[in-house]
Amino acid sequence: MALRVPVNLRKNLSVVLYAFQGLSILAVIVGLASLFLLPLDEYSRRTYISENALLPGQVHAYFGGSEQNIVRAFRREVDLLGNSTSDVVAERMAEIFRSAGLKVGKQRYSYKAAGGEYTGENVYAVLHAPRGDATEAIVLCAPWRNIDHLLNEGGVALTLALSRYFKRWSLWSKDIIFLISSDARAGPQAWVDAYHDLHGENIQSLSVKSGAIQGVVVVDYPGAYHRFESLHILYDGINGQLPNLDLINTAVQISRDQMGLRTDLQEMWNHDDGYRHRLKTMLRGMVNQALGHSTGPHSSFIPYHIDAITLATHGDGGWHDEGSLGRTVESVFRSLNNLLEHFHQSFFFYLLMAPKRFVSIGTYLPAAMLLAVGLTLTAIRLWVDPRSRSGEAGVKVEEKEEKKGEKGEKGEKVKEGEVIAVNGGPKRELFLPMSIVIGVHFCGVIPFAVFNSVDYKSMSSVFYIFIAASVILPTLISILITLTASPHRLLPAFHLSRCFSLLFLGMFLSTLATLNFSLSFLIGLFSLPLMFARTTPDSVPLALVNSVLLQLTSPFAALFVVAGYWGLGVEDILKEASFGWWVWGMWTPIVVWCVWWPAWVVGRISVDSSIVMAVTGKRG
Amino acid sequence: MTLLFARSHQWLISPSLKIFSRLLTLLIILTLSGNVVVADTYKEKLDLQPLSGQFLLASFNFQSHGPIEAFNKQMFQLFPRSLGQILQYTHTRELHLRFALGRWDSELWGAQPGDGQNAGGTGVETWAWVEADNDVEAEARWTSLNNALSGLFCASLNFIDSTRTIRPVMSFNPTGDYPTTNTSRLFLLHGSLPKEPVCTENLTPFLKLLPCKGKSGISTLLDGHKLFDASFQSMSIDVRPICSPHTGTCDIEIQQTIDMVLDISRSLQRKDSPVPRPRDQHELICDTSKPYASNEYCYPMDNSIDLPWSLSDLFGRTISGGCPFAIKIPTEETQHVCIHAPENKLKTMETLELAAPAPTEGQPDLKCYVLRENLPFDLSFPKQQPPISPLRQEPLLYAERSFTGHGQEHGGVKTVLRNPNPNDPVEVVYLESLPWFMKPYLHTFKAQVLPAFDGEADVISELYYRPALDRKRGTQLEAKLVVPPNSVVILTYDFEKAVLRYTEYPPDANRGFDVASAIITIPPHRQGSDGKIIPATSIRTTSLLLSLPTPDFSMPYNVIIFTSTIMALAFGSIFNLLVRRFVAVDEVQRVDLKGKIRGLLGRLKKGKTE
Repeated sequence: MALRVPVNLRKNLSVVLYAFQGLSILAVIVGLASLFLLPLDEYSRRTYISENALLPGQVHAYFGGSEQNIVRAFRREVDLLGNSTSDVVAERMAEIFRSAGLKVGKQRYSYKAAGGEYTGENVYAVLHAPRGDATEAIVLCAPWRNIDHLLNEGGVALTLALSRYFKRWSLWSKDIIFLISSDARAGPQAWVDAYHDLHGENIQSLSVKSGAIQGVVVVDYPGAYHRFESLHILYDGINGQLPNLDLINTAVQISRDQMGLRTDLQEMWNHDDGYRHRLKTMLRGMVNQALGHSTGPHSSFIPYHIDAITLATHGDGGWHDEGSLGRTVESVFRSLNNLLEHFHQSFFFYLLMAPKRFVSIGTYLPAAMLLAVGLTLTAIRLWVDPRSRSGEAGVKVEEKEEKKGEKGEKGEKVKEGEVIAVNGGPKRELFLPMSIVIGVHFCGVIPFAVFNSVDYKSMSSVFYIFIAASVILPTLISILITLTASPHRLLPAFHLSRCFSLLFLGMFLSTLATLNFSLSFLIGLFSLPLMFARTTPDSVPLALVNSVLLQLTSPFAALFVVAGYWGLGVEDILKEASFGWWVWGMWTPIVVWCVWWPAWVVGRISVDSSIVMAVTGKRG
Repeated sequence: MTLLFARSHQWLISPSLKIFSRLLTLLIILTLSGNVVVADTYKEKLDLQPLSGQFLLASFNFQSHGPIEAFNKQMFQLFPRSLGQILQYTHTRELHLRFALGRWDSELWGAQPGDGQNAGGTGVETWAWVEADNDVEAEARWTSLNNALSGLFCASLNFIDSTRTIRPVMSFNPTGDYPTTNTSRLFLLHGSLPKEPVCTENLTPFLKLLPCKGKSGISTLLDGHKLFDASFQSMSIDVRPICSPHTGTCDIEIQQTIDMVLDISRSLQRKDSPVPRPRDQHELICDTSKPYASNEYCYPMDNSIDLPWSLSDLFGRTISGGCPFAIKIPTEETQHVCIHAPENKLKTMETLELAAPAPTEGQPDLKCYVLRENLPFDLSFPKQQPPISPLRQEPLLYAERSFTGHGQEHGGVKTVLRNPNPNDPVEVVYLESLPWFMKPYLHTFKAQVLPAFDGEADVISELYYRPALDRKRGTQLEAKLVVPPNSVVILTYDFEKAVLRYTEYPPDANRGFDVASAIITIPPHRQGSDGKIIPATSIRTTSLLLSLPTPDFSMPYNVIIFTSTIMALAFGSIFNLLVRRFVAVDEVQRVDLKGKIRGLLGRLKKGKTE
């Protein structure tokens, strides 16, 4: 009785195989579809404030009036320094902070990446909380030049003016640090590294410090024109980490409900809260998260478990000015000041699709997980598949299976051969496929190391050489293996190597999905053709189609897509990746070169081998 | 919890009772001032010192002496009975209690008043010499002392348990005289509560210990609103025996001090409007030399004048005459209010009410006054332009401590000690009392000297380390080291964070855990070529906030729910198993249709016969 079911299954192994295939395809389809359901009202939720202590917008913000005269004067001061070197700027800023009676520190830094040197000098001032004891701090940051290299006149002037204004209040429970970073990308990173004494050699230590940083607000208000239309909230951190949703909600609620300022996310300037705009906002967020790069000075703080956002002004036709922005910052700071504990109440994993609409990890995670499950199921199917077994019996089974396939009907004709195949003789030979997969994964270190050490100038030529190499490499490997290995082992070897590679990819992506959903999802999406990259020595055209498909979804193709998305050259993206690795500790290049690229190479090997086998006549 | 209790207790006192008690005090004061029967002496003094950056340091000092025999016989005169009885009951020979809030900014303000001897770390700090036969008895007496003080001062001193108690070896020395006591019977215990917020409920009992209880004398200036708005404030109580080497008689001395640093501009502004709204346009002080200066552009100019202030502006009231006990026997040295400021600043000062100036013996930057009974006293400084930079005394050492690294598992502590003196090295004792869940690796304890210097290996001369025991006691780390002249010593060590039990987290677990200030003691030494003796000085660093791995406390909630569900299910099936009777299949009679009918018929028959 107990034996009946397995014997049946063994007899009808193809049912199991088809079931696996169906399941994996179903998982992928459901995964993809579920992502597109997320923007619907039924699947997303309205945002809400979890941390009761924040009380956003419950205080009256007074910044304005004569304070604006001071902001205007500081604007002129910033303007005068516009093109000065960073040490001149730092000295002048330090002077202004000192005259306000604050403790001032300066920090020089220098990074080397992609053959370039990134230097600058940060300047910051600490406002001691009256009665405070230097245990906690909040940071107001303005980069001298913003992420687009524009002079952040308004932001710096506002920070200087707020530093004087905040000093007059006696209600601060936390120290306030005013940071003017030299740029928006390397400067904040150097500062926050040094704040935690984890900085490299070419970065100065900080002379003045305060307590644990509880929150960071960055003001990005470039240009000489005072008016702006709306507030753009940037929140993506390095490696796709996000600040606590409460911080974003606080900023949104204060600017929208208290100040009457429109808020935008992900450069969606005319958000109508409809399905398409929500989806677009979410996808843009996912792209930023997947790339794992810095979207503003706030990004560098987030890996330190410091919640940070950038408030950037947008447009110059509106009726808001320094006053509104200053009051918004004031009100956000009053809320942060209320915090009794570190941000912990609300979500750290979420996708925002409108300023007041989000999905949390429980809802969106299945999408990426199902893609990974699809890959894993395919790997399991390949393992179960008798073609993974070498040796005579195995071949017999396979032939029979193929016959069966031709007849389109399984049935009584299949007899002992299968039972023998499962119970006895032929074993899976693991050595060759294992060494292929492991070897290729180790090769992933080569592009990673090369692209992180090459100069910007030679970046594009190295990249094209590398593309050529990785187009040829799988073909070479498959030729090598086909020529050396005995024919009956060939097919199982390619089969199993694909199986291991997919298994590894599936497991890795499902783990990654819990950390960086978007990266996992996008890589899963690009890796879908690997599910179908079979070794088909009998059908060369199919192999060719597969090969082209794989080529189109290769990491290089993805790089070109990303470059096209940003309107940059490929070498710029590679430079950014190299910079990201050296400065921010960005992990995306590792995932691409050491996980995705090897999986792709193994896929190519199994596809190319069918052509090679067809050409050489070694059909196993 | 004690705080809450104390607050509610105060509310219970009815107004009529208050008036009665006031009358009684007045009566006592009147009778006492009439005939001199008080053997105890009492002194009080207020030192004012303007500091740079528009700050004012006000140091209140209240001191009373009484013969120790009377004290031992529980004959209290000026010594507060409530405190005296506690000290006697717990055999405490010397007590030091500190309440502090805010931080002393030594960069701006210079050396701390009284060589830092009166200041404590943030929160509450206490140490005492307890007389006992052995360590266990000392510990028990220390616990009951803290519990009693906790009630007396409305502070959570009862939370100073064995995990927060240390026994410093090098940092503290008794300040009292013990000619008769065997010093081996004296046990030093030290505890600190860095998280304790010091507030009005601690000030009220503090004032009650004074002979004039804040009703007259300089203590009338001590108003909770002003005191706790100060940028730095520290209250201290020191009790110690003092013996005269000539007569051999011993006194018990209680000294209470309050040091507060007031932000003059903030105090004055608060008088006008509690909310610091943006100033009116015409009130702005703008730099008109800027090329763009106009009505719309104002480059602010600050610190261009010394703001005018008076005691009544800053403290909200005047001194309502001297305390009768302190003015009872005016002597040559009697000074009640003193102000230290540069000579030309003192010249502009005005006293609003009559008070006798006291002699200051050729010190041009000091002016003192003697208060008179029932005559209010105030003094004021007019606006000064350009400002006069105030006196500043360079501290012996600058100290700063911070955490390094991040993450939930490991961390590091970095202390920077800077000796500003260009010629003399400073010998210091560095004391750190760490909670047990912060486990330092002693092998990583290192001292680095900047600029590099030859004897770097010998910087730390002595090290005393008492490792922590989980949930029993904290780590005590005491190091004697030398900071070479004009250089910086950076002490670093790494530590590991322990994972607490679920119930050990406080309600605000995500805030982090406070780590008490490090105590840096500079023993008395001779300095410079002239061999000037520098008295013992102590410096406290700021406290630190340690974040520990914190569970998501909503998770246990889920776990409780799941567990309850499982329990319910288990209960259901076990209950089912227990009450059900199990019978083997073959034991059961086969019942077919025939049998059923027969059975029914049988029952019917039975029914009929009955």
